[in-house]
Amino acid sequence: MPMPTRTYRFGIFEHLDTCLAVIKQLPGEGFKEIEVYSPTPHHEISHALGRKPSPVRVFTLIGGLTGLITGWAMTIGSTMLYPIIVGGKPIISIPPFGVVAYITTILFGTIATFIGFLVNARMPQIKIVEGYDKRLSSDHYGVLAYCLPEDVVKLEKLLKQLGAEAVARSQGL
Amino acid sequence: MTEDYQLNYTETDIDLTQSLKAPGKGYWILLTFLFLLICAGGYAWGVQIANGIGEAGKNNPVGWAMYIATFVFWVGIAHSGTLISAILFLFRVKWRAAVYRSAEAVTIFGLATAGLFPFIHLGRVWVAHWILPIPNFGGLWPNFRSPLAWDVLAITTYLTASTLFFTLGMMPDVAIVRDKATGWRKKVYGLLAMGWQGSDNQWRHYTAAYVFLAALSTPLVISVHSIVSWDFAMSVIPGWHSTIFAPYFVAGAIHSGLAMVVLLLVPMRKAFKIEKYVTMHHLESLAKFMIFTALIVGFAYSIELFIAWYSGNQFERAIFIYRMTGDYAWAFWLLITTNVAVPMLLWSKKIRTSIPWLVGICISVEIGMWLERFIIIVTSLAHDYLPYAWGIYKPTLVDSFIVIGSFAWFFFLFMVFSKTLPVVSMWEVKEQIEPPMKEQS
Repeated sequence: MPMPTRTYRFGIFEHLDTCLAVIKQLPGEGFKEIEVYSPTPHHEISHALGRKPSPVRVFTLIGGLTGLITGWAMTIGSTMLYPIIVGGKPIISIPPFGVVAYITTILFGTIATFIGFLVNARMPQIKIVEGYDKRLSSDHYGVLAYCLPEDVVKLEKLLKQLGAEAVARSQGL
Repeated sequence: MTEDYQLNYTETDIDLTQSLKAPGKGYWILLTFLFLLICAGGYAWGVQIANGIGEAGKNNPVGWAMYIATFVFWVGIAHSGTLISAILFLFRVKWRAAVYRSAEAVTIFGLATAGLFPFIHLGRVWVAHWILPIPNFGGLWPNFRSPLAWDVLAITTYLTASTLFFTLGMMPDVAIVRDKATGWRKKVYGLLAMGWQGSDNQWRHYTAAYVFLAALSTPLVISVHSIVSWDFAMSVIPGWHSTIFAPYFVAGAIHSGLAMVVLLLVPMRKAFKIEKYVTMHHLESLAKFMIFTALIVGFAYSIELFIAWYSGNQFERAIFIYRMTGDYAWAFWLLITTNVAVPMLLWSKKIRTSIPWLVGICISVEIGMWLERFIIIVTSLAHDYLPYAWGIYKPTLVDSFIVIGSFAWFFFLFMVFSKTLPVVSMWEVKEQIEPPMKEQS
């Protein structure tokens, strides 16, 4: 059975303060599922939406720890496989191997951070959300709100009342 | 809001996407000239591969010469990018927003240029994979106690981290270009933007990733050139075996990197008419930074000399006397003048706010920093412990053309970048502008 199409409306706003007012008002009117689009990051938007801290930091931590373990494992493991004294130093030489482990910590940490961003931000995306306005990356703000089919008219009216320059149909992400 | 910017979001986008318009005749002429120089360098490398490494003038006792000096120079050039993009970001220095994109490009292209030299220097480039941390024969791995092995890992990590940071920083701006473009350009920029839409969910993870990438990149500014310096300092060659090498190399790297950023920003702001974004205040801030790095570099030079005398080590004393009075003395005194004395002119506000003076001083610093690496590497090898093994190195046409080709390669990459991607971060400049508010309008 095909999934029923979800109904969204995309309101485009010229001003940040108008957009913030919309975010604060919509949940009270029964529209709680909201996504906001902006040309720059704004803490006010995240606060208004009550977003939790990003889990990207977990990826960074796991990546860094994996790199640290890999660095030590690669250096100690490889010298143990072929134990040959070089320059009169111990087979397991902590200071030089620590340099390698330090580098791999950063290498794996950066790669994991980037992957963490892509995974959480659901990127790369081939298609852009329906109703996306090209002004959103430049100088406008967008509010994408989910509504039940019977509430479409109410949502459209509300968005326009609150100052939307345009209201577009959307099926969400 | 920064007092320098009296702009709005719309104007910012229009101004900062002007650089992506079709290039003029002058651009193509310069690009072709650089391409021809790259071809000349490539041909010289071909000659070296065909006839052997002797074509580069390297022989006993000077086995490391122009290639390693130029390698260290380009790694150094790369350092300002991360300093400006990562460290100044963590310290919330506002003036970085206008210049960091170019500085990051300097990092990536500097490393892409530096990365060629280990291959060129190897001679037998077809066994280049031996320097990678993978088993060579029968489970025998590279020697992880060697700074050369650390260097491969450090540079690779630096290039990876810088590229990811650059890509991440670029994403919202590429999306702006995508939204303004038409036809095949829209498709290409669409692919590069990876579906960026600026939703609060994307921004939330983006800002978190940006901070973590900056934090992870910050230690690299210090460690990468420290590790490069250990290629020398871990040996027992007079003039190399010194604990001052790491901080001394890092300061020198930032010194040359800042000069390169200024040298690229000056023509770029003029050509793309972005003077109101990359203002005199930005160039002056970079110039002030260069006074600081010149003083550190000068301090390091004097401490080196002092330690050579105070240590009582006759070999150390001998090498510094040789540097000051020997075969390459002209280069030694030239580097002291160009690296330390000339940048002191920047104490004068009149000079540091004059474009011709600033450009002249930055060129002087680049010459000085290249000579510094050349002097460190060549003099120590030419004149070590055993007088009967002394010798000198003279550049050849082959290695000279390869070095010239490397400069052409760097500027070629930068020119291509400047016409294909936004050279100033639009979203970060916008962050410093008051957002559009109904109350104000």
